[in-house]
Amino acid sequence: MRFMMMIKMKKDPAAGKTPSKEAFEVMGKYNEQLAKSGVLLDMGGLQPTSKGAKIKFSEGGKKTVVDGPFTESKELIVGYWVIQVKSLEEAIEWAKRAPLQHDGSDDDCEIEIRQFFEIEDFPETDRVKAAKDAGKKAGDVYKEMAKEARGQK
Amino acid sequence: MMIVKSNQEQDKRTIADKKLSEKLIGEMRKYNEQLAKAGVLLDLSGLHGTSRGTRIKFSPGGKKALVDGPFTESKELVAGFWIIDVNSREEAIEWANRAPAPHGPDQESEIEVRQFIELEDYLPSEAIEKYEEVARIRLERLSQMKKEAR
Repeated sequence: MRFMMMIKMKKDPAAGKTPSKEAFEVMGKYNEQLAKSGVLLDMGGLQPTSKGAKIKFSEGGKKTVVDGPFTESKELIVGYWVIQVKSLEEAIEWAKRAPLQHDGSDDDCEIEIRQFFEIEDFPETDRVKAAKDAGKKAGDVYKEMAKEARGQK
Repeated sequence: MMIVKSNQEQDKRTIADKKLSEKLIGEMRKYNEQLAKAGVLLDLSGLHGTSRGTRIKFSPGGKKALVDGPFTESKELVAGFWIIDVNSREEAIEWANRAPAPHGPDQESEIEVRQFIELEDYLPSEAIEKYEEVARIRLERLSQMKKEAR
């Protein structure tokens, strides 16, 4: 089963604020544990919402582009991990071990764990087959990236 | 990352009662194919409703609290995402603008476009080298999984 562990905060981290060297190292160790256990599929950190945008879709096919920052939002995603484990319980165990550093402000910091839809969750139709093919194409891109990463090493 | 936002109404629906119109499924498939063929698509996925999820709240002093889904108090939920690799924020917005309305043309929906922090954004250090090592292990694992899948 694949799960996404999303790190959520009530507002963007303060501008220009980067994690301390210690926080970085502690997080690096945790990531290494995830990777070496073979459960880590992907992870990433996102830039503040000031560098983002939103597309709002309304009835009748109307679309509006809204530039960040999203100051009215109460739940912002600052980063995530994608892991492959055997159960939700195992995912929770991993999330509990994450060394999130509370920055001392009043903002709650939380990890939300969500399960992925797998292609097997959908009835087998021509369209599902086509989606599988598209997934394979995406997989091939990853394979190329892996090859490149090894080449650079 | 192009994040498809969800709301309470959408979150309650399961695949079975979503009765997604054939038209929307077809449009979404075409869009995904365009992303893949343009060589910009790195990943895409949908997430189950929050009734299958859990949250861990971190508070000052190292306190942690577990809260099981569904997260009925949340106004902003995530239904799925695409990860694309493009040359600019404008190009990313353009792609998001071309997506079919994710919950159908009769529903309000929203796609949030967010830029990744790349390792190059940080100053070189020992800790960063660790991250590069993790990235390498992760990519090897992915390519091994693909091999197993074939």
